[in-house]
Amino acid sequence: MRNRIKGLLSTAVVSAVLLLASLPLAAQNQTYRAPRAADGHPDLNGIWQAFTTANFALQDHSQQAGTMWETGAVGAVPPGQGVVEGGEIPYQPAALAKKQANFGKRRTDDPEAKCYMPGVPRANYMPYPFQIVQSPQGILFVYEFASANRFVNMGKPVEAGSDTWMGTNNGHWEGDTLVVDVTGLNGLAWLDRSGDFMSDQAHVVERFTRVDPYHINYEATIEDPKTFTKPWKISMPLYRRVEKNAQLLDFKCVEFAEELLYGQYKKK
Amino acid sequence: MRQGLFATLGLLAALTTGLPVAAQTSAKSAATENGSAFTPPKTPWGDPDLQGIWPGNMGVPMQRPKNLGDRTTLTDEEYAKRVEQAQRAAAADNEERAPKDARVGIGPPSYWTERGKPTRQASLIIDPPDGRLPALTPEAQKRRKEARGGLGDPAEWAGRADSYEDLNLYYRCISRGVTGSIIPVVYNNGNQILQAPGFVVIRNEMIHEARVIPLDGRPHVSPTIREYMGDSRGHWEGNTLVIETTNYTDKTSIGSNGVGYNGEGGRHTQALRTVERLTRVDDNTISYQATVDDPQTWTKPWTMRIELKRDSKYQYLEYACHEGNYAMRDILSGARADEAAKVSH
Repeated sequence: MRNRIKGLLSTAVVSAVLLLASLPLAAQNQTYRAPRAADGHPDLNGIWQAFTTANFALQDHSQQAGTMWETGAVGAVPPGQGVVEGGEIPYQPAALAKKQANFGKRRTDDPEAKCYMPGVPRANYMPYPFQIVQSPQGILFVYEFASANRFVNMGKPVEAGSDTWMGTNNGHWEGDTLVVDVTGLNGLAWLDRSGDFMSDQAHVVERFTRVDPYHINYEATIEDPKTFTKPWKISMPLYRRVEKNAQLLDFKCVEFAEELLYGQYKKK
Repeated sequence: MRQGLFATLGLLAALTTGLPVAAQTSAKSAATENGSAFTPPKTPWGDPDLQGIWPGNMGVPMQRPKNLGDRTTLTDEEYAKRVEQAQRAAAADNEERAPKDARVGIGPPSYWTERGKPTRQASLIIDPPDGRLPALTPEAQKRRKEARGGLGDPAEWAGRADSYEDLNLYYRCISRGVTGSIIPVVYNNGNQILQAPGFVVIRNEMIHEARVIPLDGRPHVSPTIREYMGDSRGHWEGNTLVIETTNYTDKTSIGSNGVGYNGEGGRHTQALRTVERLTRVDDNTISYQATVDDPQTWTKPWTMRIELKRDSKYQYLEYACHEGNYAMRDILSGARADEAAKVSH
């Protein structure tokens, strides 16, 4: 009898856990109130990292071989479920053709391979940590990859000057969500290693919401009339790096890309 | 092993805090330069507030001209000459240097160039008292002479362009290192300081760096990990931010223009340890000092000082150095074209 109750109880616990796991993060924690930073808003300070295969491909993808057999399984692409709402990126026909061409040239043409700044939103889901520094003067995102960084202006919105890799970033709070409006992107960054891309007309709106002590729910809406038929959205959790000694280290990858970029100009 | 390392670091700390008395005195004199000591504003959590954009001031040589001896500031006459030189340089910036029929211009347009305001400071180096670098150790002299089969310090670009590796880290857009990133070059000299509880970030516009400095007293990362910007730990001594940095690679150099100093590369070893001191001496000025200690390179530690001036109107831009590094491709392909032309003649 006792055993049976125990059995039932554990089944109930397992079901509850399963149920909880199947709910999106945000729904689980509607009552969560994040600690406040000095500015009175939710404290986003910390080191964060995405754990998805989105950097390989934003959309659903099976496992596949890498671009160089020499790297064996190390260079292969792990399978993954997509982060695009609705499953498909709504490309215009010409843009879809360009994405496919990009895919064919991904070994040499992916800006990640060249150690170029990753742009927004890709910087947030690369396999490297980044640190949010929420200062009274604005919010700085410091990425380990390529020492890329971007300053989010929280004051009066500024207009984009010349186009850049990391864009012009204007932020504001909507309740407990940090909303970052990104314009002035140069259209040279890719969105993943599969050649997904957007143009210099892209407008990205990101939303960062703390849902518990260890997670931020991250969403980005991408609008680009030159490339897509309609705006589309990605979402994923960002995980807090909880190691006591967590810190960003140098990943200054230029020297790993020089042979790829300049090898052909060397003295033979 | 670890204790041994800490003991060594401790000894180094004792050495550096003991030796550059001049540096410490001048920090004090900087703080009292404008009469009474300035009390900087505080962040909401009570740290001295160093936030803002602080471009470095240009025009002060790293080493002091020998004829000035121990004199740290210029006379009126010498200062007037420096102002005149700065004006001449600014006028030269506006000259069209490329011939009219050239297909490309040389040098960026003049509005790119930042000249800053001349100061009376005689040299960036304030210790040793003669403003000159201490002697190199015999080991460092040998190392420099033998570098790259006698071609010299890789921090310099000797003009050879067989490979991208012949160019220095600045040309390669890799890093200007910790002190180099603070010292201004010709343009994009913005330094932005941001603070959050437990952290200070120094963000350098040129090449683009964002050095996150923890203030919580955590130990350095393992000595196995080596970094271009080193591993920085900070703490407050009164109103002064003190940043101690170790774990440097031996690939970077120290000094002006990011890569060397006035014709000599400041190439160091992994034993390098720097101690930077940032003191806001008035609303618009940070006195920045860095003590450089690498016993395998210099016979004693040395200290440089530069004034960082707040510029609230400064437009801090994205410096996509590597992404736009046409110079590298052009230098290498130009050298190949040159060789081909010589062969055909």
